[in-house]
Amino acid sequence: MFEMAKELFKQLFKKPFTNMFPAKHAPKSTVGFLKKVEEGKAKLNEPVPIPEGFRGKIAYDKEKCIGCKLCIKVCPANAFEYLEKERKVKYHLSRCTFCAQCVDVCPVNALVSTKEFLLSDYNKK
Amino acid sequence: MSLKDLNRSLWVFHVNSGSCNGCDIEIVASLTPRYDIERFGMKLVGTPRHADVLLVTGPVTRDMEKKLKRVFEQTPDPKVVMVIGNCGSTGGVFYESYNLAGPVDQVIPVDVYVTGCPPRPEAIIEGVVKAWTKIEKQGEKK
Repeated sequence: MFEMAKELFKQLFKKPFTNMFPAKHAPKSTVGFLKKVEEGKAKLNEPVPIPEGFRGKIAYDKEKCIGCKLCIKVCPANAFEYLEKERKVKYHLSRCTFCAQCVDVCPVNALVSTKEFLLSDYNKK
Repeated sequence: MSLKDLNRSLWVFHVNSGSCNGCDIEIVASLTPRYDIERFGMKLVGTPRHADVLLVTGPVTRDMEKKLKRVFEQTPDPKVVMVIGNCGSTGGVFYESYNLAGPVDQVIPVDVYVTGCPPRPEAIIEGVVKAWTKIEKQGEKK
């Protein structure tokens, strides 16, 4: 009985487990709220911290690339397109499965996994 | 379509058009107390006739093509279609498969693409915010 009362009392003052990601509740006007955030009057809550070794959007350094086509060979989703003239590749984000095999195989580290994961858009990338 | 037409909580219907269940799990995860999408008044409903938003996961298999079209037509206007995951936007790992009726945008019109394989629940929430701003901006133009 006492145990339960203790637990109840604790719950009264505990913060909720919910991570209030962009805002606590839906604002009346989303456009207005986003404008306020840009002006610095309102603040967006941070997303849940991502785990170590998270494979997010892949960053491609065109300068470093030597055009060896290893990433094309290893990619299960055909996310890379070879550019014949330049001897470089093109990375298609919306085809990627984020397996990061290309990151492991790239001999010059032109491909790197970033921690970016908020990638929604109105068009395909 | 303007926000006045949708001046209520967005109710969501989830269509699985041949997904591997990764994205479906993330959608359900965004309903759990950790992410709690219900604080925005969003809710998964059991029939497209109650829904404002369609969440489509998976590339559209040949079996699901007609059914997806039917679900889209059953959803009352105004509606928003969100594609969750890369399969729906390009085919993902199932590209060039003999059994696909093309990615979702070849079957029904799409408003927001959420990229990820699968996307994290926050990415889905961000997609919803994008859909919301799109509706509001369309309303302002009118």
